Amino acid sequence: MIGIQNRKDGTNEMANQETEILDDVITSSRRKMLALGIGSLAGLAAGVFASTAEAASYTDADILNFALNLEYLEANFYYLAAFGTTIDVSNPASTLAGAPKITLSGTVGTAGTVSGGSKVPFTTIPVASYAIETAVEEGKHVQLLLSALGSAAVAQPMINLGTSFPALATAAGIPNGSSFSPYANDDDFLVGAYVFEDVGVTAYHGAASLLTVPANLATAAGILAVEAYHAGLIRTTINYLDPTGTSIASYTNLISTLRASLSQAGLLGVAPGPYDTNPDDFGLATFSVSLSSNVTATRLTDADQTNEIAFARNTTQVLNIVTGGGAVNNGRAVSPAVGVFFPAGMNAGPNGFK
Amino acid sequence: MDKLTELLNRAISRRKFVAGVGVTAGATAVLGLTGCSSSSKSSVTPVAYTDADVLNFALNLEYLEAQFYLYAATGTGLQAADTTAGSASPFKTVGTVTLGSAAAVPGLTAAQQDILNEIAYEERAHVRFLRSALGTAAVPMPSIDLSFFGPLALAAGITKVATGAGSFNPFDSFDDFLVGGFIFEDVGVTAYSGAAGLISAAGVAAGYLTAASGILAVEAYHAGYIRTSITGRAIAAGSAIAYPQITAANLVEDLRATLTVGDSAAPSTSGSVETLLTLPTNLNTPSAIVAASPTNAVGFARTVNQVLHIVYGSATVGVSSGGFFPNGTNSVFAKTTA
Repeated sequence: MIGIQNRKDGTNEMANQETEILDDVITSSRRKMLALGIGSLAGLAAGVFASTAEAASYTDADILNFALNLEYLEANFYYLAAFGTTIDVSNPASTLAGAPKITLSGTVGTAGTVSGGSKVPFTTIPVASYAIETAVEEGKHVQLLLSALGSAAVAQPMINLGTSFPALATAAGIPNGSSFSPYANDDDFLVGAYVFEDVGVTAYHGAASLLTVPANLATAAGILAVEAYHAGLIRTTINYLDPTGTSIASYTNLISTLRASLSQAGLLGVAPGPYDTNPDDFGLATFSVSLSSNVTATRLTDADQTNEIAFARNTTQVLNIVTGGGAVNNGRAVSPAVGVFFPAGMNAGPNGFK
Repeated sequence: MDKLTELLNRAISRRKFVAGVGVTAGATAVLGLTGCSSSSKSSVTPVAYTDADVLNFALNLEYLEAQFYLYAATGTGLQAADTTAGSASPFKTVGTVTLGSAAAVPGLTAAQQDILNEIAYEERAHVRFLRSALGTAAVPMPSIDLSFFGPLALAAGITKVATGAGSFNPFDSFDDFLVGGFIFEDVGVTAYSGAAGLISAAGVAAGYLTAASGILAVEAYHAGYIRTSITGRAIAAGSAIAYPQITAANLVEDLRATLTVGDSAAPSTSGSVETLLTLPTNLNTPSAIVAASPTNAVGFARTVNQVLHIVYGSATVGVSSGGFFPNGTNSVFAKTTA
């Protein structure tokens, strides 16, 4: 099911034969990401401890499995919010929307349960319809990655979509954060969605250069685009509902600041990669830019403010965000990284994720 | 005028192409979908190219986007220093901008103005980034025709009830601006997706791929803004009749699908690289903000030829200029080859 392409000779012959199975990818495409010199896993490359350099070599399957963990998280969040079910269960609402019922076919690692979450009592058509659309699309991403990875796919890990949110909201400094629930109403759902979307963009962006099979790269680029559409959707909607930044739009700044802090810790003290900066996250703040005159602009995109290129995070940075710092402890990458959304850590192949 | 006639003729039959949305995508192998699209292009593009040529092609598109958004946001375009030819560029002549009705969009709220400023700033940043990355190889800005929105809208079948056919102007109002932005944004996303597969292994190692991926993401943020805004404002208005811009946007998609049939590469022949906007009227149906495969929700890729057909406003193979680029693009890819 994987299209294998050869671009060395420039002919890029396309092949999507069934015979080109993922096992070939796994065995043939191992890339020493450290050799790329473009910031991937820069933190680990610094040799914080000696064994990390060896561990920081991922196959395409590893990278796709990392993405699959994130898609499990996102898809379950949106399914619960939109339909009130997890991704492996269908109900009339999910069926009506065309959301796939996912067969949890991944077996690598330890299968876990999903806790927390409930259907949001939406009252506005835009937010409800966006939630449903996003659920369907994230479900299809899970389906796609499970299908592509086949027997190499990781199991759905333990996922906490309940108490994780108030913990994160408290850490971010959102007012009354300890009682925050993204399932309470339309506005709070958008804030919950905001937590994930830009992170997905940075994770796929960071992973893009690690993939060795062109067809995988093309697919990752396509998913990256969809995650950025989602992120744009969420930011746009929050901007429409709170144009002056007095409530939910101001929360985006708090969340982005927290994410940037966790991401920075994930760098383990070394400089960010070339398409990452410190800080590497910005909410919907208004700032000044020089066009034909000095004007104000609202950060519609989560990108560096000079080149306007979206940030790229390595796996440790992403892990540190979704585990609330569990990926880094006392300046060292830990494995397995656990906490917040992944109470038992992500599921990984033999190379693990740090 | 020949171009306009051609556009109109093409527009007449557009529906049959759009009817095939999703069919081809559904028949395409899972992970191979976008790979097929991007790989086809390189095998049918009979020109030798370098990574710099790929980035310069993107630069042509960024010049166009930057001029559109800068005029819409501020009433002025790129500064001369942002349009010059690098010393090693085979293209030497800096083009001119045909303004037509281009002007700062009137009647914006403060929040809308801040977003327009942001998009304009970001597109200019992309121009500057690519020019910086290309150094002496950077091509100059080609001639750009911002008055092409009128003929394009006419070909798409967009009519304004109050002022009649042919009067569409994206600089008239915020809502019409959204339609103007809609013409470009999904195309920019798919152009970068398609271009990613053209970058050499050396270019990947040099960081070009990561840069292109990051710009791709920003273009998708923009597209998300445009599509979310049109959808949300249509929902607020209550119907497509009350908010004709949603219909206009879908007519643009129809036209884009029609124009790209000149490229025989799948999946464009069925128009399946378009996702029409929908107008949800209850709490139980999805919107269609994201433009992506209905099968696996992977974003589309367009070939260089497909992009050129759209910005030239011509489905004809062998065309080197037209539409938004009256003198063509400053690119080795300038002529459509499929």
